[in-house]
Amino acid sequence: MVHALGEIRRVLVPDGVLIDLRPLEARWPVEIASGASSVEVGRLTDLPIAIADDEAATRAMQEAESRGWFVREREEFFSYVYSWDTPSEMKEFMEDEWEGFEKLEDSVYQSAQSAWAVANADARVQVRVKMLITRWKKK
Amino acid sequence: MTLQRDPQNLERKALHRFADFRDKRVLEVGCGEGRLTWLYADSALHVTAFDPDLDALRVACADRPVRLESRVALTGASARHLPFPHEKFDIAILAWSL
Repeated sequence: MVHALGEIRRVLVPDGVLIDLRPLEARWPVEIASGASSVEVGRLTDLPIAIADDEAATRAMQEAESRGWFVREREEFFSYVYSWDTPSEMKEFMEDEWEGFEKLEDSVYQSAQSAWAVANADARVQVRVKMLITRWKKK
Repeated sequence: MTLQRDPQNLERKALHRFADFRDKRVLEVGCGEGRLTWLYADSALHVTAFDPDLDALRVACADRPVRLESRVALTGASARHLPFPHEKFDIAILAWSL
């Protein structure tokens, strides 16, 4: 990863900007949403591969900063929502796309099903992913 | 399946708060199927987006809007050895890829 950051630095102009945009493992909440409101019914379990990837990315940026390649200018967190019509569609997606990275525990799935079943007709199930965006400037 | 991603467009808003793409040459690292690319490419002067996953890249090529064909170049590459000259880009984006 550090080598890749060196390559990116090489192809950037002086004072060029690097935007690092990525999800952070943080036991993402599972919510039932209706209208403008949402209620948390549980959280996903971060699996070791995802946590290790997260830590490696953070270490790589720290290394690039310590080498004087980039200086951090600005950083924010925001939410990136994945939303489905039903809990079963959420489960299917996670088994297809997030296997090995995030786990939907049976107890959380059952809580989502129970809450969704008695919620308003427009209710959806969603996962709120914690996102980090950082602006770096080439030194 | 009725998956919706980022229904409030918070990612697009964050991206445009953090970078001014006007008249900029942009390199996107790990563009995948181009989902992020289409959020900012209209504003940029030119975008070079790459990914080592050729299946994903094929989807990006198929999804690329006609209006962006001359502005967005999609290519297969690895970040370990970027096939570009020194100081070619104004902005680089690590798109969920670090």
